[in-house]
Amino acid sequence: MKKFFVVFFAFQLVFISLIAQTSALPPVDNSPMDMSYFPTNYPVLKIQDKVTETPVARIIYSRPQKISRAIFGGLVKYREVWRMGANEATEIEFYKNVQIGGKKISKGRYTLYAIVNENNWTMILNKDTDTWGAFRYDAKKDVLRTEVPVQKTDELIESLCMVFEKTSTGCNLVIAWENTKVSLPISF
Amino acid sequence: MRIFTSLLVAILFLAACKDKEPKTDRVTKIPTLDSSAMIRPERAVNPYVPVDVSPMDISYYPVDYPKLKMSNNNIAPPLARVVYSRPHLDGRHLFKDVLKYGEPWRLGANEATELDLYSDVTIMDKKIKAGRYIMYCIPEENKWTIAINSNIDNWGLHPDNQKDVARFTIRSLQTNNRVEYYTMLFEKTGSVVELVMAWDNVEARLPFTF
Repeated sequence: MKKFFVVFFAFQLVFISLIAQTSALPPVDNSPMDMSYFPTNYPVLKIQDKVTETPVARIIYSRPQKISRAIFGGLVKYREVWRMGANEATEIEFYKNVQIGGKKISKGRYTLYAIVNENNWTMILNKDTDTWGAFRYDAKKDVLRTEVPVQKTDELIESLCMVFEKTSTGCNLVIAWENTKVSLPISF
Repeated sequence: MRIFTSLLVAILFLAACKDKEPKTDRVTKIPTLDSSAMIRPERAVNPYVPVDVSPMDISYYPVDYPKLKMSNNNIAPPLARVVYSRPHLDGRHLFKDVLKYGEPWRLGANEATELDLYSDVTIMDKKIKAGRYIMYCIPEENKWTIAINSNIDNWGLHPDNQKDVARFTIRSLQTNNRVEYYTMLFEKTGSVVELVMAWDNVEARLPFTF
């Protein structure tokens, strides 16, 4: 009899530990993370031996979906600091010194926020990295604030998107969602 | 005695139920949890960059560091993080259809898996300096060779073993899970922090000492 209970409780313990183990694994996120480099697709170019220098920039961000919601002025409120993504704050890294909005930005990792308005966005580069959302955003750690105009897109963009596009003076960081896009010029 | 026997039967019955229910629950639970996050194909379409079928993810140590930082302004910097992509089984079996023993695997998908060390760390008696690295593995049936490599910002195929900084051999274990999406996370176990790598019913752990 005693043996039975010992077996029974041992079984329960094993079972509980199995559940505990399973639930400890993080699920895939509804707003999956993504990464964009400049030069575009740098890692692919690298294994094709098509690049010799380090990349210039990369951005790590999460991609929330629209799912029929009104985004700008709705989910993303006007005149409030937005993490430009979901979950962890958006991280931008410069592998060398660049210029944005006429200001020199030293190489390194930064957090990128935006304040969204109807006709323009204020882009904010902040020194406080490895952070979640914009909940503890601290303007004292700003490195740069610069305004960019809002452009309208023809297509409806379901998932937030960030990509670098080559320009004559460097590249633009293009941020697009719903039917809105902005371009942040970066020169180097 | 008769009462006792019937009580015993009842307990046995309950035990059997407990056995069955959670087991089926457990098997279906992980894919359900994960599949809720799947991007529907029409949402993946994007004029700039489609949403990837193997989404990227990030795991910090201390676990959930960015969230901890929200509630503590004076928190020390993080110690490590991995940035990796999460392929999923989609009906396949890991070592039957996806990976081959003896062939290097990027421990993810797309870009090589990145390991960022914010401070020096000791892995299995070897000191690894703070900095950015990529990781890949060479899986065998019961052990994995994990390589830490300096060829960063790279796509995960054809790793250049000339740039390996260190190699470690660790055991790989069979579990009772069937993990749909490849998963990496740090877990504190006693005095070490283990980087857990889990997919399908296989799990390997690389011990870090900070």
